[in-house]
Amino acid sequence: MMDINPSSLDFTGYTPTWCAGCGNWGIGKGIELALKKQQLSPDRVIMLFDIGCSGNMNDFINAYAMHTLHGRALATAVGVKIANHKLPVLVTGGDGALYGEGGNHFLHACRGNHDLTVIVHDNSVYGLTTGQVSPTASKGKKSRSTPSGIIEQPVNPLLLALTQGATFVAQGFTAQLPQLAELITAGMQHKGLSIINVLQPCVTFNKENTYAYYIKNTYKLPEDHDKSNFSQALEQAQSVFKERFPLGILYETTRPTYQDELPQLASEALAERGRFEKSVSLLDNFK
Amino acid sequence: MMAKQQTAFLWKVGAPAGQGVMTTGLLFSKLCAQSGGNVFDYAEYPSLIQGGHNTYEVLCSTSPVNNRAWQVDYLVCLDKVTLETHEHRLRSGSIVLFDPAAGKISPTGDYTIIALPLKELLAELKANSIMANMIALGASWALVGGQRKKLETLIAEQFGKKGAEIVKLNQNCADRGFETIVGNTTTTITFPWHKPEKTPIVLGGNDAFSLAAAAADCRFYASYPMTPSSSVLATLAAWQKMTDMVVRHAEDEVGVVSEALGASFAGVRAAVGTSGGGFALMTESLSYAGIGEIPLVVFLSQRPGPATGLPTWTEQGDLLFACYAGHGEFPKIVLAPGDVTEMVVLTKQAFDLADIYQTPVLVLSDKFLSESRMVLDSEVVERELSTPPEYGKTIRQVDELPYLRYKNTDDGISPRLIPGTPGTHYQANSYEHLEDSHTTEDPEERSMQVEKRLRKQATYLSNHWQMPSIEGSLERAEYIFVTWGSSKLVVSQARDMMDQPTAHIHFTHVYPMDREKVAALFAPNRHYVLVENNATGQFGTLLRSEAGVDIKHSIRKYDGRAFYSEEILAALESA
Ligand SMILES: Cc1ncc(C[n+]2csc(CCOP(=O)(O)OP(=O)(O)O)c2C)c(N)n1
Ligand code: SF4
Ligand SMILES: [Mg+2]
Repeated sequence: MMDINPSSLDFTGYTPTWCAGCGNWGIGKGIELALKKQQLSPDRVIMLFDIGCSGNMNDFINAYAMHTLHGRALATAVGVKIANHKLPVLVTGGDGALYGEGGNHFLHACRGNHDLTVIVHDNSVYGLTTGQVSPTASKGKKSRSTPSGIIEQPVNPLLLALTQGATFVAQGFTAQLPQLAELITAGMQHKGLSIINVLQPCVTFNKENTYAYYIKNTYKLPEDHDKSNFSQALEQAQSVFKERFPLGILYETTRPTYQDELPQLASEALAERGRFEKSVSLLDNFK
Repeated sequence: MMAKQQTAFLWKVGAPAGQGVMTTGLLFSKLCAQSGGNVFDYAEYPSLIQGGHNTYEVLCSTSPVNNRAWQVDYLVCLDKVTLETHEHRLRSGSIVLFDPAAGKISPTGDYTIIALPLKELLAELKANSIMANMIALGASWALVGGQRKKLETLIAEQFGKKGAEIVKLNQNCADRGFETIVGNTTTTITFPWHKPEKTPIVLGGNDAFSLAAAAADCRFYASYPMTPSSSVLATLAAWQKMTDMVVRHAEDEVGVVSEALGASFAGVRAAVGTSGGGFALMTESLSYAGIGEIPLVVFLSQRPGPATGLPTWTEQGDLLFACYAGHGEFPKIVLAPGDVTEMVVLTKQAFDLADIYQTPVLVLSDKFLSESRMVLDSEVVERELSTPPEYGKTIRQVDELPYLRYKNTDDGISPRLIPGTPGTHYQANSYEHLEDSHTTEDPEERSMQVEKRLRKQATYLSNHWQMPSIEGSLERAEYIFVTWGSSKLVVSQARDMMDQPTAHIHFTHVYPMDREKVAALFAPNRHYVLVENNATGQFGTLLRSEAGVDIKHSIRKYDGRAFYSEEILAALESA
């Protein structure tokens, strides 16, 4: 086997093509910091990138990765993790992808408590397709696809994740990098489905949810917030309805992960195991 | 009176849904197979759980059988509707088992009705009405001259798990049915029953796919229930503890195929199963498998569409959809087994081809093939199941850096590294990419990757594509039948019934196909007859576009039912 070339094991890929000032820069940095802090290397982690400005990180961060279809990163990750549950699996994608196009996968991934960490770039718009509203856009928001203002009320990602069974629910803000890196690290350390909704200003297409807006409307969870208390988490998640955005880990609990519940994965990873060689004996079922 | 010798018979049972017809049919089929008969069995049922009319028929013969037959020799009626619905398939001399208490009937044909007083017997046996099927089973077995003891042992085997009491009750009912008939020698036949040398195996198309998938090292199967593919999900799920395969019932078909691609990328062989509607939802991901070069096996069991169509009936209506599914241009391999043995062989091959060519491979079935069960040659099946898989250029270590996931190669195939291998990394990119897998929009790199991917198709055609099988002499045949998929079955049977010399060209590797080699099979001035279970002659269209062959005469059926040989013969006569 050849020598491992250390330079190829650096997380830094191509220079990002995000707009200057875009909140995605902070998320990219936050992920890199979290991966380094856990002493991972690009060959020891699998990342799934959705399609969107957010997902374009595929070329900016080095890792074994899939740059999937729009809305499908999370569903794809479910299969990845089952095939190799020994590697950490990180999903990143936009609010359009994860709460809209792939919304059904989101619900069911929460139910299943798959051992994945999901970072949602919440910018309230479809960045890559030039600024149409996303599912988290405030009611009445005007965009190219909703010139008279969006009729629907926004999705509440935190409540959604909590009520569907995610076992780790957090919210970060891209301008608060150290906390974001900690949340990502904690999410990856958590066994089970971790949802981290990240408030991410899109400086080009969203003139409402700006850095100033979030600096004004975010708050740190109170000192005495008990993240193991589901009711308290629900309470904090509801403040979003009043345009108050909690930052930190709202909820963390332990429940067997989907992988824990599969006896097939009790020892080796599915991808590492020997082949099933007794198929002839299955013929007994047809005699 | 002497009992008649018989070399083949068709037995059919009918009842309202929920009356246990499937069990009666399956058990009767097993009795026949375990007593040395060659069986072919098939169930028909509407998409209803209660009500509606269910049937199960078993064709049993001294020689191998590969299709249903039109004439019903024994019709077991658990209600009046059964007789009314199937009376037109009775011949003179057919025998009908009927309970006079089920209502007044006015028979129109020259067949024999034997009274089977189900109601009365149930009362006598203190059994509830569902046990009528066991009485009918016993009566049927007596009618065809089966061994009484066999009933008892099979029922013990079948119901053993449910406890001694249930076994006894079922045995009593069956035995009582047997006894009711057995004295009546005027109507029983003797079939040359015997103990077969080896216990025969009886498999349907879905069973065959499941077995071959397990043998092919498939470690991840995901599906969302949809008839007629659902029994694969149930079968593989039931075997999980033994096979260690992970079987997932995911939230929807988009999730199903996405998960399979994730599992495949991460290093395990993965497959999905569905029918047309579910497959429609999967097509975007098929295209991702194409550009990301991710192996994937898709089991597509067709049923009549469009939309919800006829959920529990049969059609070969999705051929062109399958061949052309997925946006953009990428190689895809479509295999269409024509019988259950071919299903075993081609499923095994599908998993190898998916790895070798790193692209989606589709295995086409239909309700008829998926659920028709036949006796297979166990030696052939065992050999096939035991052959180790071929993984192509799947690698678990790299010899050279940088590792180029999408390296431009002569055969179009780039070594595919299993993620997690130390020292490097890459992405399975749904965007166009460079050899090293980073996204690109460069025109030259784009063209190179397009050509590289399409070269895999050429490599497949020269290394693995298989010519259609040919039976009979193409030179001497008056009619040359052309089939793909399950219509092979009816044509083989129809040819046996014809006096004229005929030949049969049967395609399994339906897409892509080698233009020159296929064209060479078709000579001018010969009479080709294309037999397809669809309305528009889709394989005819495919032959025209892929091989430049235009078959003028085709026989089609699209009422949701599979062909009978008699229909083929009649169509030829009227042509
Ligand atoms: C099936 C499909 N539909 C639509 C698109 C076009 N598309 C690309 S990204 C995107 C939305 C991106 O929004 P979001 O997920 O919020 O990501 P962001 O760009 O904001 O990071 C859309 C609609 C696509 N690529 N695929
Ligand atoms: S469009 Fe918005 S989300 Fe996309 S890169 Fe620019 S600022 Fe960021
Ligand atoms: Mg967005």
